[in-house]
Amino acid sequence: MASNEVLIIGGGIAGMQAALDLGDMGITVHLVEKNPSIGGKMAQLDKTFPTNDCTI
Amino acid sequence: MEDTAKSDVRIGVFICDCGSNIAGYLSMKDLVEYAKTLPNVVFVQENLYTCSEGGINGIKAAIPAHGLTRVVVASCTPRTHEPLFQNACEEAGLNPYLFEMANIRDQCSWVHQQVKEKATERAKGQIAMAVAKAARLRELSRIQLGIFYRAVVIGGGVSGMAAAMALGNMGYEVHLVEKEERLGGLLNHLNMVLPAKEPPSRLLDDLRTRLENNPKVTVHTRAQVKKSEGYVGNYQVTINENGNETVVKAGVIIVATGAKVLKPEGLMGYDGEKVITQLELESLLKQGTPSLKNVVMIQCVGSRCAERTYCSRICCMTSVKNAILIREADPSASVTILYRDMQMYGVENEDMFRRSKELGVRYVTYDPERPPEAGDGLVRVYHARMGKEIALPADLVVLATPLVAQDEAQQISTMLKVPLNENGFFLEGHVKLKPLDFATDGVYLCGSARFPSSIREAVSQGLGAASRAAIVLSKEALFTSGIVADINPNTCCGCLGCLEVCPYGAINFFQDRGICQVNKVLCKGCGGCAATCSSGSARLDGFSNDQIYAQIEQALAG
Amino acid sequence: MVEFSGEIGSFKAKVHRKARYVDASKCTACGACAEKCPTKVPNEFNFGLNDRKAIYKDYAQGIPSVYTIDPNHCRVFQGKKCGVCAKQCQAGAIDYEQKDSYVDLEVAAVIVATGYDLFDATRIPEYGYGRFPNVISSLEMERLLSAGGPTAGHLARPSVVKGEARLKELPKLIAKAEKDEKTDAASALNKERKWLEEHVHKYPTAKKLGFIQCVGSRDFRFHKYCSNYCCMHSIKEAIIARDHEPETESYIFYMDLRTVGKGFEEYKIRGAKVSGLKYVRGRVAEVLQDEELNPVVYFEDTEQRCVRSMTLDMVILANACSASKGIVTVAELLGIALDENNFVKTHPNKPLDTSVPGIFTCGCAQGPLDIPESVAQASSAAARAAEVVMTGGRALAV
Repeated sequence: MASNEVLIIGGGIAGMQAALDLGDMGITVHLVEKNPSIGGKMAQLDKTFPTNDCTI
Repeated sequence: MEDTAKSDVRIGVFICDCGSNIAGYLSMKDLVEYAKTLPNVVFVQENLYTCSEGGINGIKAAIPAHGLTRVVVASCTPRTHEPLFQNACEEAGLNPYLFEMANIRDQCSWVHQQVKEKATERAKGQIAMAVAKAARLRELSRIQLGIFYRAVVIGGGVSGMAAAMALGNMGYEVHLVEKEERLGGLLNHLNMVLPAKEPPSRLLDDLRTRLENNPKVTVHTRAQVKKSEGYVGNYQVTINENGNETVVKAGVIIVATGAKVLKPEGLMGYDGEKVITQLELESLLKQGTPSLKNVVMIQCVGSRCAERTYCSRICCMTSVKNAILIREADPSASVTILYRDMQMYGVENEDMFRRSKELGVRYVTYDPERPPEAGDGLVRVYHARMGKEIALPADLVVLATPLVAQDEAQQISTMLKVPLNENGFFLEGHVKLKPLDFATDGVYLCGSARFPSSIREAVSQGLGAASRAAIVLSKEALFTSGIVADINPNTCCGCLGCLEVCPYGAINFFQDRGICQVNKVLCKGCGGCAATCSSGSARLDGFSNDQIYAQIEQALAG
Repeated sequence: MVEFSGEIGSFKAKVHRKARYVDASKCTACGACAEKCPTKVPNEFNFGLNDRKAIYKDYAQGIPSVYTIDPNHCRVFQGKKCGVCAKQCQAGAIDYEQKDSYVDLEVAAVIVATGYDLFDATRIPEYGYGRFPNVISSLEMERLLSAGGPTAGHLARPSVVKGEARLKELPKLIAKAEKDEKTDAASALNKERKWLEEHVHKYPTAKKLGFIQCVGSRDFRFHKYCSNYCCMHSIKEAIIARDHEPETESYIFYMDLRTVGKGFEEYKIRGAKVSGLKYVRGRVAEVLQDEELNPVVYFEDTEQRCVRSMTLDMVILANACSASKGIVTVAELLGIALDENNFVKTHPNKPLDTSVPGIFTCGCAQGPLDIPESVAQASSAAARAAEVVMTGGRALAV
């Protein structure tokens, strides 16, 4: 039986962006993350190069 | 500004404890009693959590029960919770723009935890300001737009081809516009690609065939986009193909115009014969390996310098690749690469770098202050590690020159109202988080038009831009926000101040009438124009002068 | 994920959902529970530089905005009397009885975005990470610089952060030793206190910083590859440190400074011009420590053609981007191939496709990438997955 949903393993920046794109296209996404919060390594960063923007 | 008749204004104020986040530091009883005394306020309620189901239902019930025409919630930040409360208003039949929020948590209780009395006074001021503004709020509406379910991809290099392929595969109609006779872009001129270790024609032929066989994809070659009008969902794109003009109605546009290799006229003795570019070496190698004894490659020719400050990302890998190919074909040929930093980032490049050293490619760093000089079959360079100048014999000198912006980038930038950076590459919406979007909705970018890219990156970005574009194409309709700017045509003096500050290209100047007007579809409600306008003609709905002045007056009065 | 089967268009996956012991539909993330929770646990989000509670959120803006009980530390789960959080929670969200659950999913496509692990620098003993308090990882540096971090953005040396915490416990320990008449122990503790007080006073802020590049990368013993983003990451940390404290001096020890992204080379130059960063071309051979807990680096300065040493306040390692440890299990379940470095294997012409049709990958799961490349790839993987969903799996090539 064909499904029309997508599974994403990992809730860091890459997983979240993929989930957002698919969700915005109207596709149901299951995002699986092992930690209590999504965000991954990027949430631990203070600022980012080359603009020194805040990451959160 | 015309005021809504005051008698119609019936404000309900909902004050949130946020558990103990607010109630723990402010006197909620005082806030409630104070809010009741404010003009036009007819109903006040305190909630443990206004955002909980109970709190939301409370708002929905109070609107009809007390005939509320404005709702104020004093709680946390509108950034996360405004849409929730606006929806509650809408569900209860109130225009969602008749809602106002006071952030008495982040801006008050959290930062003034030690001074309960003073903090309570401050929160009162915030609530009074919100109430003063609420009394002056007007109904706003969102405009619904139709969508042309079609994409135009400008540029038929590998990135544009990947974008067109992905959109075609998703079932959307795509027009791929290429200025040359055949698809493929820069890759058409390359000899071999590593690490795939195949001629680029393999990838290109495969892509071309599948694009041509995809009924959703129309390929226009020897074609250019002449004109583009409209906005997200509704572009009219004029394509000139071999002299024939057609207008394509498209919802989205992808810019994949690529880049070109800098010809280093006047640099390092470039002559196109004994001193050539890496791209020219590719053509040479394509015709079969020439017999070479001593090859010297020089990196960063025309890049990482005052004129072009950027590192062009892909030149080191190109040089290493060609060095490997030369050494593999003829192990007796010597290849030396003069470099500043070998930019062999990532897994595959560093592998290739290591492989080249195993094959005996020599590397010598040079100091940009003392650049190498080529002439008389020699390249002289100051060898920083040995602390002296050396002379390398060279029957061929190959210069690694950067990718630079295409000639037509400026025209496309003006036509689509999307910006270029100081080097002429297209400037994305956000360098970290929106690498493939422009600030303008409905236009996307990928590949070397954005910044020099490897094949892997160009393909990936092409697909990514397709994904961003598909978000628009997958919608049934688009809605604009109610918070948009407006320019009074009677007072506008056409000074163009607003047009210069608008980051979204949402303002048009009408020469015939000498005035500026806002395209409400493109406007994102940033308010830059309203703040800039010297004649007070531009205003931002939802943040109009009378609303903001009312808040300020209230703040000063309190 | 614990089980996986099927093929493109109709995969079946079973996902193990761990209990939070907090009802997500009721929790409003007000934090009252954590404030009163009596159990302190070293905060892994800040690499143990401060404590969190046994009921916690990784970080203030964390999503979902719901607290979680850590059953390995919560007193209730250790069979002790507590229940403080349940009493504090006005939303009634605490549920000690919540059970793990399993969710069965049917999906058309899968995206593997499992990211990376920071290279464990204790594997390079000559750099002293783990032995010397003032040699830290690049991510620990992020937490020290972060306004939401353990020092609220003040760049303090870990020896001082930990010293201050120790100074708080010492009076109690000394009193106890004196009460028990353990004079030797008491005098040792007093000596420690005196030394720490001086140390903490002497080094309020780390001002002379050394950044060591290629820690675990471009190193035949560990990862042969280049980790792509670390040069820029170190430059950024040095620039931000200088923003925090104008007297900061930073030295970046590198082999090649790889500034290949948009605006990166310009950023590097600005780092030198505006923030006074010094780029030293040479690989650090060894880090030692003096009696003041200052790291001392030994390196060959290839431009000056000599071996030098330098005493610093703090050394920040540019840890390599290692394949995530969990990826091996995930890859086995999914049946996808990994490369020799345990990154998900892809072909340069098809950068998002794994060896199994319908399973795609993006971000650092497939190799080290910086943020914009990860974001771009994520959208690409989304496009590939959307192609599958919208065509029922027919469209497969690029």
